[in-house]
Amino acid sequence: MKKIYCNIKKCLGCGSCEIACAVEHSKSKELNNTISESPLPIKRRKAEFVEEGVAISAGCQHCDNAACVTACMSGAMYKELKTGLTRHDRDKCVGCWMCIMSCPFGAITREKQEKQVVKCDLCPDRDKPACVEACPTRALSLGTFKEFKKLCNM
Amino acid sequence: MQYVIIGSSAAGINAVEAIRAKDKDSKIVVISDEKKPLYSRCLISYLLAGTIDEKKIWYRKDSFFKNNKVNAFLGIKAVEINAKKKEVLLDNKEKVVFDKLLVATGASPKLENIPGIDKAGVFPLRTIGHTAEIQSMLEKVKAVAVLGGGLIGLRAAYALKARGKDVSVFVKSGSILSQIVDKDAASLMQKRIEEKGIKIFTGVAAKEITGDRSAKGIALDNGLKHGCELVIIGKGVSPNIEIAGGSGIKTNWGILTNDSLETNVEGIFAAGDVSETNDIALGESSINAIWPAACEQGRIAGLNMAGEREIYEGSLAMNSIEFFGLPVISVGITKPKSDAYEEIVRKDAARNIYKKVVLKDGVVAGVTFVNSIENIGIIGSLIKNKTNIEGIKNIILEDYFDYGKIIPLIKKSKKGFREPEFKETILTL
Repeated sequence: MKKIYCNIKKCLGCGSCEIACAVEHSKSKELNNTISESPLPIKRRKAEFVEEGVAISAGCQHCDNAACVTACMSGAMYKELKTGLTRHDRDKCVGCWMCIMSCPFGAITREKQEKQVVKCDLCPDRDKPACVEACPTRALSLGTFKEFKKLCNM
Repeated sequence: MQYVIIGSSAAGINAVEAIRAKDKDSKIVVISDEKKPLYSRCLISYLLAGTIDEKKIWYRKDSFFKNNKVNAFLGIKAVEINAKKKEVLLDNKEKVVFDKLLVATGASPKLENIPGIDKAGVFPLRTIGHTAEIQSMLEKVKAVAVLGGGLIGLRAAYALKARGKDVSVFVKSGSILSQIVDKDAASLMQKRIEEKGIKIFTGVAAKEITGDRSAKGIALDNGLKHGCELVIIGKGVSPNIEIAGGSGIKTNWGILTNDSLETNVEGIFAAGDVSETNDIALGESSINAIWPAACEQGRIAGLNMAGEREIYEGSLAMNSIEFFGLPVISVGITKPKSDAYEEIVRKDAARNIYKKVVLKDGVVAGVTFVNSIENIGIIGSLIKNKTNIEGIKNIILEDYFDYGKIIPLIKKSKKGFREPEFKETILTL
């Protein structure tokens, strides 16, 4: 399964991934216009500090045995059989927040007015997710875990 | 090999999917006393409220049984298990033989033992059938009395308020949601609910439902009377263990199982609201009759029935509710019963925020968040993994607390955080 990995050694916690993610999930997809959108688009990744000088860009891990899918009472959160990715069906979501209650990574956010949740969807309109493209230190990458390990020389 | 599953809600459905993932060919029989199962029980109050339409209530599509090659006996009740003959007896006198059996019979609403409980216009809210019955009489209803201030009672109250009814909730204990949250969180919720026009009366119980054939009101134990045309009973549920009677399957409050979710009778498993399991936070046997636990138990029981060895670590109480835009989520212990527990609390009255964690010997045992609920799953994961959080105690309730802050704890942990995703995220630390 291909997903987004973060190399903590390279991550500065600069937040470029957050901005790129929010813009990609905005109506206009242009930073300048995004700022004046209402409601503002919601980022699906967060640059989080582990300790001073150490940061991680964290988001949905598309878990094998996804707690959000188990907890989802409407069937909106599901595993896509072909790819193994964790997907969210807005038509089924009722905004019960059971997935937020269950996600061990804090990777799911409320869209309050819409009574929906949002999380990393790997940017379906792009070849490479916006965060990966925007990362100035190449801490973020898209690939399999094997490819990620190779990339980090581990 | 023939698998038989009694029950077709959360646990039953997840068991079918788990079995089919491992065993494509063997026969699976599902027995359900509901004619049209496969809906989400948690959503029936949404349907009653009119916040979702009927289309949204289906947890799985109609084609579920066909796609999973399930022989479904619907609208038929399993009444007896003969463990020696490996047979399930149905209420139509038919028998179904099994090699592996899952008892996922769920739970039934507790009905109050008060005079008048059998009058027309008195309902629990447990099945899609109850919703339909309530809907069909709503036109004639002006006032509603809800007996019980738990999750179901309040969800019903919220739904009927949304339908324009005059709703009063009568709560025997001193505060609403007393099984789920502490008094501080409950009072925030109560304030919001009352502001929106639902009346809540605490410390009072109904002693009789009055009227002729139909409910016309309730008589309260404080001597007062309350007129209403509809009474909703929200007094919790009790596990449907009758089926285990005479079978040799061991029961306590619920059906007892080992860590494979197999009962004391080889080849017979139990999952969902009917099963009693080890509660991770309490460290004792308990029933957590909640959707996520039922799904996980169904999945694990199904895998073990199909010959895998998947261990069930135990259940954890967890609930998420929102009323009129104010959400509350709690996981694990919210009201510690002894001095052995420590509480850390953060209140932000201006933003309606209340956050609390409960610790025992530095290990998190419970958490409650009101209004600001993001990231609570991280703390839930600390509870599951029995993590000592002494080092992050001072920041755990802050707005900036996030996954990054527990990475050092994951790195240090020897036994916990076994899922591969944790290892993947800390690989490069």
